[in-house]
Amino acid sequence: MAVPSHHLVADPPPFGSPPYPPDIFAGQTVLVSGGGSGMGLAMARAFAQGGASVAVMGRNLENAQAAAEGLTKLGVKAHGISCDVRLPDQVAAAFDEAERTLGPVSLLANNAGANFPVLAEDISVNAWNAVTRIAIDGTFLCSTEFARRRIALGQGGAIINNSAQYIWTGFPGDAHSAAAKTAQATMTRKMARDWAAYGIRVNVIAAGFFPHKSSTAGRREGGIEDLQAMIPAGRTGSIHEFGWLSAMTCTPLMVGLTGQVIVQDGGESLRRSLMMPDFIPPRERADGPWGWR
Amino acid sequence: MSWLEGKTARLVGESPDIAAALTAHGATFVDHGDCDVLVHIAAQPPIKPAHELSHAEWRAALDSGLDQRFLLARDYAAMRRAAGKGGAVVYVGAPEQALGSDHAAAAGALGNLTKTLGVEWARDGIRVNAILTCETGETLGNLVAYLVSDYAAYVTGAVMGVGLDD
Repeated sequence: MAVPSHHLVADPPPFGSPPYPPDIFAGQTVLVSGGGSGMGLAMARAFAQGGASVAVMGRNLENAQAAAEGLTKLGVKAHGISCDVRLPDQVAAAFDEAERTLGPVSLLANNAGANFPVLAEDISVNAWNAVTRIAIDGTFLCSTEFARRRIALGQGGAIINNSAQYIWTGFPGDAHSAAAKTAQATMTRKMARDWAAYGIRVNVIAAGFFPHKSSTAGRREGGIEDLQAMIPAGRTGSIHEFGWLSAMTCTPLMVGLTGQVIVQDGGESLRRSLMMPDFIPPRERADGPWGWR
Repeated sequence: MSWLEGKTARLVGESPDIAAALTAHGATFVDHGDCDVLVHIAAQPPIKPAHELSHAEWRAALDSGLDQRFLLARDYAAMRRAAGKGGAVVYVGAPEQALGSDHAAAAGALGNLTKTLGVEWARDGIRVNAILTCETGETLGNLVAYLVSDYAAYVTGAVMGVGLDD
């Protein structure tokens, strides 16, 4: 179903009109985990629009390097790095490489994540470990590596984490991600407290539906047009507005902002009514927009 | 940056930081009638233990912290609908547990009202958000300016703070 034409849908300014000046991150380097595609790439592009040098970290070196190459077209220095964020030695090595190439990392975007619809009983131990540890351990390892380096330098910094709008409700049919994404939000609040004295700010976006070509919804036949009407806002999110909010939390414009969970979901997580369509257990919705088949 | 260039804003309540930020971002203030965005700041009631609050004091806090905020936003939304235009409301106040039980009730009610109105008015293109904070300063001003700007077009029904104790 399409959004009726008499409904008003609020749209963001276009990608070419970012909400901050092109030098707001001048002289700074951001490290973006999972920055080679999707939401991580949107974060990387948003930081680049503010003039930051960008270290793009990903499991796949070719993807990270290709993304870095694309970022240089926005007029910044960029460098692609291969890293498995679950492994502390690799994380430390990636920071070393980023700092050798681009200078001290003063901004961090934790985006690395994996997610796919699957019934709880069908989640293999490997899949559970992958989804939860990339988000939970990965965010911990990258954030602590970052913080130790900033504290050693006696300088502050800013971290932005990519979480999800379903962190308060659970996500039936996606148990691994439900657990992982909430952990990111709760650790954000505590790390903000741990590092406030060092001038390191930590915030998290509880992001809604921002389809891109590597998301489950983005791959579906017929595209995302019929998903627009599901969202109270009347559309799915534009990935550049997610990137902008992420980067914005790290700017001097938001210098007092820390420990915050900011929902950006077009009202997606709030649309319940006392009268709802019949409940269908995830086991019985194999097909559909987020089916596990 | 001029996030609010060409927009009219109605600012109800006192906050020099928010007024300065809205001005810096290009908004023009109006004090009545239709406007593009509405920012409402509640005055803070004095802090008293619950058993020392009279019913009159309780009612006054709920009136200013909740009832007037709802009624004003409803009038604003009606004007926006009549004009065929979207808009944005931001409520600003103290965190739920920062003051007395009167404020705790009002702020909790306001938070869930924010989430509800955000959805009720979503397809009118009217967004509703709230900042519950003890903080003042530039970040608060900028956050309000961001939330009422088109840059926050996908943020509605959000209740957030600014600092660690919010």
